[in-house]
Amino acid sequence: MLIFIKKLTVQYSEEDHALLALDRVDLTLTPGRITALVGESGSGKTTLGKAIMGLLPDNAKVQGEILLGQDNLLDFDEVRMNPVRWATTAMVFQNGAANLNPVHRLKDQVAEPLIQRGTPKKQALEQARNRLTAMGLAPELANRYPHELSGGQVQRGLLAMGLILDPPVLILDEPTAALDAVTKSFIAQVIQDCRTQNKSVLLITHDLDLAGALADEIAVLYLGQVMEYLPGRHLLDRPAHPYTLALARAFPAMDAVRDLGGIRGDAFYRMVHAHAADNGHTHVHTHVAAPDAFHQGGHAPPEGCLFQPRCTQAIPACALGSVAMEITPDGDHRLRCIRGGIAKILAFRQVAKSYGPVTALHPTNLTLMAGEVFCLVGETGSGKTTLAMIAAGAVIPDRGTRTFQGRDMDEWMKKDAASLAPCIGIIYQNPAESVSHRLTVFEIVAEPLRIHNTVTDEAELTDRVRSALSDVRLSCAPEFLKRYPHELNMGAIQRVCLARALVHEPDLLVADEPTSALDPSVQAKVLKMLLNLQIEKGLTLLFVTHNIGLARKVADRIGVMSEGRIIEAGPAARIIHHPDHEYTRTLIRSAQGLSRPLPAGSL
Amino acid sequence: MHLDARKRILTDPWFLTGAALLGLLVCLAAVGPVLVPWDPHDISFIPLDPPSARHWLGINDGGMDIFAELLSGLRNTLVFGVTAAFAGLVLGSVIGLFAAWKGGWADQVLMRLADIVLAIPSVMILILLAAFLRPPPWVLALTLAALTWPTTARGIRAQALTLKHRLHIQAARHMGGSARYIIFRHLMPELFPLYLINFAAKLRMAVFMEASLAFLGLFDPSLKSLGLMISFALKFYYMDIWINWLVPPVLLLSLLIMGTTFVTISLENVFDPRLKTAL
Amino acid sequence: MHSFARHTCLTPVLAYLAAVLVLAFLSHSLPRMLPGDFITAMYGSSDVTLTEQQEAVLRTHYQDDSGFMAFLGRLLRLDWGYSHAFLAPVSALFFDALPWTLLLMGTAHLLSSLLGFVLGVEAAWRRGTCMEKAGVGIMTVLEGIPELCSGALLLLVFALHLGWFPAAGAQTAYADHTFVQQVTDLLHHLALPLTTLILAYFPGNFLLARAGMVMVMKSPFVLIARAKGLPPVRVRYAHAARNALLPLVTRFGLRFAFMITGALVVETLFSYPGLGTLLFNAIAMRDLPLIQGIVLAASIMVLGINLVLEYVYTLLDPRVAHAS
Repeated sequence: MLIFIKKLTVQYSEEDHALLALDRVDLTLTPGRITALVGESGSGKTTLGKAIMGLLPDNAKVQGEILLGQDNLLDFDEVRMNPVRWATTAMVFQNGAANLNPVHRLKDQVAEPLIQRGTPKKQALEQARNRLTAMGLAPELANRYPHELSGGQVQRGLLAMGLILDPPVLILDEPTAALDAVTKSFIAQVIQDCRTQNKSVLLITHDLDLAGALADEIAVLYLGQVMEYLPGRHLLDRPAHPYTLALARAFPAMDAVRDLGGIRGDAFYRMVHAHAADNGHTHVHTHVAAPDAFHQGGHAPPEGCLFQPRCTQAIPACALGSVAMEITPDGDHRLRCIRGGIAKILAFRQVAKSYGPVTALHPTNLTLMAGEVFCLVGETGSGKTTLAMIAAGAVIPDRGTRTFQGRDMDEWMKKDAASLAPCIGIIYQNPAESVSHRLTVFEIVAEPLRIHNTVTDEAELTDRVRSALSDVRLSCAPEFLKRYPHELNMGAIQRVCLARALVHEPDLLVADEPTSALDPSVQAKVLKMLLNLQIEKGLTLLFVTHNIGLARKVADRIGVMSEGRIIEAGPAARIIHHPDHEYTRTLIRSAQGLSRPLPAGSL
Repeated sequence: MHLDARKRILTDPWFLTGAALLGLLVCLAAVGPVLVPWDPHDISFIPLDPPSARHWLGINDGGMDIFAELLSGLRNTLVFGVTAAFAGLVLGSVIGLFAAWKGGWADQVLMRLADIVLAIPSVMILILLAAFLRPPPWVLALTLAALTWPTTARGIRAQALTLKHRLHIQAARHMGGSARYIIFRHLMPELFPLYLINFAAKLRMAVFMEASLAFLGLFDPSLKSLGLMISFALKFYYMDIWINWLVPPVLLLSLLIMGTTFVTISLENVFDPRLKTAL
Repeated sequence: MHSFARHTCLTPVLAYLAAVLVLAFLSHSLPRMLPGDFITAMYGSSDVTLTEQQEAVLRTHYQDDSGFMAFLGRLLRLDWGYSHAFLAPVSALFFDALPWTLLLMGTAHLLSSLLGFVLGVEAAWRRGTCMEKAGVGIMTVLEGIPELCSGALLLLVFALHLGWFPAAGAQTAYADHTFVQQVTDLLHHLALPLTTLILAYFPGNFLLARAGMVMVMKSPFVLIARAKGLPPVRVRYAHAARNALLPLVTRFGLRFAFMITGALVVETLFSYPGLGTLLFNAIAMRDLPLIQGIVLAASIMVLGINLVLEYVYTLLDPRVAHAS
């Protein structure tokens, strides 16, 4: 049974305002396909499910269409809706046991829809028992009351209840939340069976692993608006929208190797309310309620992309005008992003570099996406520092083109080198050597600002330096600002370097072995801080290291270099767990440490 | 008290009506002696005299001023009610808090005791006591308190137990707060809504009991009481005097119970419905 | 209250047994605690004049030193003493009055519980409508009027001034009636006290049922029941109201002591020949053995009813039944 949801808008009216739960959502449920709806809590996922069932509370104002055949379900009153419920559209709600009536036996609740539709009681109970058995519940469990069942048994019971009338449309709201792995995989199997039985399945979940593995199509919901439609298999590997990427990065997948990253800022809710405007008229508008007032009067901008305040690649244009849904060039995704999804910040085409007779870098292609951490891994002399410095604009390649922020980098450097440098920050391998010993901490961090004459006012200069230092968790006390590098330990100096690299708020940070000169304990602290900064500031990070063990903790993607070539590049999880290249395997094995015996002939 | 709850309570028409009624009646009882110059026990007037400018509600069969009797009765009823409710509340709160804080066997013993006391029908004990010992009203009020503490103790205990495990109270303990400090600074203030609800509910019950038992003739007949007035006035139902003799105490008693009912129901609605305690 | 019924079935039984013992002990020892010659003190101011022989019987009754156990034994043998005001054994007087109280109280509770529950459930279902708001408002006001007041007014208006209903008694004495006439006569006498009690009990039941139902209606399982496309009546009663019934039953037990007070008042007001009126007369005439007998027997009955309610609760809530 096909269900077309068109421009579905749901508002919950409160006393003097309304909450916008869903905003013009389009979704199609197709027989034999699993459609998943993902997003953070409060994104409106459950509201959509309830809207299809006609179970929204009385204070909900609904617009749009939910088409089931020729009928718009939103036009149905209770009397017309009742026969549709459970027979055509059934729903398995979240929160397990609370969904079962505590004073009735499980089998009675499962059989109830049958009995109320005229099946003789005995026959209905027989069917209910069969359903429950098919869900892996022993017959004696059917006689129990809900409080006598475990969480997994309740969820199986709820599924049996949902399927008892064999409905062509099944809505599942968080079917695997708080379940053990065994029950979870059983339920995943049941959902897949529904697809083979040609049911239309709507899977509402924030378990991206489940959604990615099961769904044919996924809609990513943010504050009631669909941000991206994408094929399920792309969810964790190739998200196109910055929000999808952020969700994927925050999800604790089994094979994720990088540490979890949050999404900066907080999502609140969208309010529709009216109050007097400056010109004396009352004006009704929608906005995102948020704690920090990034708009006058505590209002977030009413226009523009919803995710923009939390997006790490937002540009001023993102805050203007509404954003339409557009199809990506590859045709797989549909996106709501004026930047066309996650932006390319840096692109190399056939870039090469030689020093005399020595080829440091063979012609290489490389693309860096905004907000990602890309690790270049390889042994000394593999050309990774050369590549990093070319990316940083510090080395001019012999051949090829490099594009930064959509502009040709070489041309940019020729015309206006001074405006490019502040966009890229660099941290070097040896911190002690990368700072002048004659300068104080303050002077070191202020140096880029003075060089580019960014700030003329001395007071503002001090502010910028202080905020850069506090970003890297260093003291801003006057005594500390007057210290010299030799008075500091290595970790502190590297953090001063980081503050210096960040003082211009660059888009790209190139870090060449930033922690190799540090003790492991200091290294861990600096890396943690670097990753936090990366999430908060949305930096793109090109991280060069010889240590693949380190790379797997920080990288979204890894590129393995050997003899001036990138021999393999891809999502960190794939490179670590399923390396294609023999050299990568060797790197991983050797990184596993000396304590483990190496297989014969591996070195 | 949570600010939001306070705002909701102060804008709830039921609460406002109830509080206004109670306030009015308490004022009336307090300024009674100023309002009426006559002593309620003065029997020197003309029996069954109809209302006049000097005697607003007339004179009863015994030659006493009905209005003076009425205000005196209201005062006695209120004093009985407040004494019983307050004593019951204090007893219940202390026992409930102690049981929750101590836990273990002290908790077990106190709660089983509460089960037993709760099972005893309090009217019956009061009737026995009143019939045999003829004690003064305050003894009966305290007896009533001694029989009705378990409802409060249970409510307070249950709430205190959940509070005890809340993080901010755990944190206060980890910071080294003494038991005394935590009970007085954290637990007791947070239980404030419960005190209010319990006090209002107990006041309602005590006033009702006093009026009923006085009507049945169980209280000292020389003490004025609304219930006793109704009982006497009913004997003269065949005369028109019921308008100024029977109706006023009936009305006053109804307003008093209504006031406490409104306040109780409103408080129960505003605060978590699960906090609801038995009457 | 849930915790009340939640512990094992044995605990409430023990609590009630203990309560009976406390009551019995109190009524056994109270007369003995009185200083001096309490028979003279008590009966000196009463309307009963005792012969010397009667006084001697009373004295032996109260100064019987055979102990508490013997007292309990007499209690069980229905030997509750002799009423000198009515010149009859206390137990005989008690069992004469009991049926009338059962008729009045039983009908009042049955009607007010049924009506209160059904209307409360329906009101909660129609939450927010004008009808519901008006209903809750009226019930809250009615809940604030004690039996004493509503009864006095009903008596005054409908019995004494309009004369539609009898002002006293449970039946017309010495009348030679057919069966139908007799029933009509009984109902005619029952009408006013019954109305007073229903006015007293119904609002409380209504408000409780409504509040319970409003809470239950927020439960996910009610939403599921609707999602299953069940007929609205089934959602309302088989799923929601079935659960709203639970707090109602426990609260009923707790409000019982409160209710007896009202019943005493109402019987006295309408001179209905039940236990309340008997007790009132006994108090007026300071007939101690009678007061003692009624109080003890009535208390035991109240405790018995509470015990039955505990059992009913375990039937209604499988979570309690299976906990033990």
